[in-house]
Amino acid sequence: MQTGLFQPSKSVIRVSPFEGYTSYAPYTCTQCAEGWCMTACPVGAIHINAAGAKDVIDDKCVGCKLCTIACPYGTMFYDGDTRKAYKCNLCGGAPACADACPTQAITYEDVATADWVGDFAAERTAIVLAREVA
Amino acid sequence: MPTRHLIIGGGTAGLNCIRTIREEENGGSEITLVSGERPYSRMVLPYYLGQSIAESHVYTATPASLAAWKVKAMLGRRASALDTRNQTLTLDDGAKVEYDDCLIATGSRAAKPPLRGADGPGIHCFWTLEEARAVIAGVQPGSRVVMVGAGFIAFTILNAILSRGATLTIVEVAPRILPRMVDAACADLVARWLVKNGVALRTAATLTKIEEWRGRRKLSFKKGDPLLADVVIMATGIRSNLEWLDGSEIERSTEPGGGVLVDDHLRSTVKNVYAAGDVARGPNLLTGAREVHAIEPTAQEHGRVVGANMAGRDVAYRGSLVMNIVEVCHLDVASFGQWEDADAEVYTALRPERSQYRKLLFHGGRLTGAVICGAAGDIWTTNDVGMLKGLVYTGVDLSAWKAHLKKSPFDVKPAFMATRTTGRLLPQTILGRPSNSPELPQSVMVR
Repeated sequence: MQTGLFQPSKSVIRVSPFEGYTSYAPYTCTQCAEGWCMTACPVGAIHINAAGAKDVIDDKCVGCKLCTIACPYGTMFYDGDTRKAYKCNLCGGAPACADACPTQAITYEDVATADWVGDFAAERTAIVLAREVA
Repeated sequence: MPTRHLIIGGGTAGLNCIRTIREEENGGSEITLVSGERPYSRMVLPYYLGQSIAESHVYTATPASLAAWKVKAMLGRRASALDTRNQTLTLDDGAKVEYDDCLIATGSRAAKPPLRGADGPGIHCFWTLEEARAVIAGVQPGSRVVMVGAGFIAFTILNAILSRGATLTIVEVAPRILPRMVDAACADLVARWLVKNGVALRTAATLTKIEEWRGRRKLSFKKGDPLLADVVIMATGIRSNLEWLDGSEIERSTEPGGGVLVDDHLRSTVKNVYAAGDVARGPNLLTGAREVHAIEPTAQEHGRVVGANMAGRDVAYRGSLVMNIVEVCHLDVASFGQWEDADAEVYTALRPERSQYRKLLFHGGRLTGAVICGAAGDIWTTNDVGMLKGLVYTGVDLSAWKAHLKKSPFDVKPAFMATRTTGRLLPQTILGRPSNSPELPQSVMVR
């Protein structure tokens, strides 16, 4: 998803810090099988693009925000400037985030479905949580 | 002989049902659609009122798209009686339609309170396209608009009324605004925000009559001064369209809210008759209790489940989750699930200087409801709204995270990730298969 602007607050791939900002995990749309955003849209403004990604058709989106609460992953956003919903569309098949990442923390490849971020986050929050509870 | 499916109602539930039947079986069956109106989305009427979309944008089907789906469309006709023994529907013009299975998806209509003068000129509801057109014609720059009712429907058209250059007063009989969407603390925040943005509010106001006074509408109340208005919009609730089933064998609930009682396949007590959307009393995802959830996402899921079952699949529905979101004057307000629950453990956080509010409700380790409020442009408001749905939907055990969420109810993301909610959600689909891209009517695509 590219707009030509440099504005991290509007990024559709968001990086979470862990363990006091010593490790990080990127998080973005999983292009899930249900496509909760797509099925929720009352005017069919979200479709599956050539790259297999769920993509917002700007001309059709009215900005009702229903997709932002229907998406259970929290990866559907609303742009107050354009008054449209927006999301990761895999840049039509050539994701710029993977290109830009200098450490290959983000790669674009066809692999079996796995919750990469889940294990990473569970491991890296355990100590902090134990401290909080104590 | 091909199976004859009859879809009664061309709203969200009916259209999703038709699309799903065709996705499942490629046009082998006969589909008849009976709809009082040409299919359109009521969800987007506020944007038509606000002039950000044209009227052509609201339609969800066209004669061409219905023909492409091989649907025999009987538009402008309404159902008047259902004979389930002979599997025949009688229409308002006396015509009869036979079916092998049928969907009742006749939706709801705006309900006005029994009030003296409520049917006079310049007094509108905002529910159908026709009502929207009347409001559009009536609300001009400088118009004084009084909206009766401060619920979700009223709030969806608030921005649009202001954007037309009208001044707005909202009157509500309850002691506070949004009584069925958010709690009192959130309502207070929203009320302050609205007043700051020039909207006048009058709560605990019992309207007694509306009368014509020198070409305007005069609204009188049990207490306090009368109000004058050019246009009155009655946003006083909705009622399901089920009276036409009187005398049929379809069992309806006698509880408040009524509705056709349906099982987990959304079948009524007559097994080849289904019900979906605003008329269906189906399972609540969290409690399993049967309830009417008159919201768009429920109609959509109901419609698809019925479509798959009509096409011969065996799809059980887990249930629907109440959810609402509305933006008023750039303030986002949303709620999920059982957001008001005296038995729940409740964590709240209020940041009045940022107009932010967050409420999380737990039963043990399980998140069962949430309220969200904050400026639409504030990334902390909207960052994790969907994740709250994911946590409620999966019912993941958050026991280890409760202390953290109690301290920081806005910091949901690490809890969502570390409890592997993403992995739990990935295999979940409503129909047990990936969803298709919506087939779009061409005339709606091209502007």
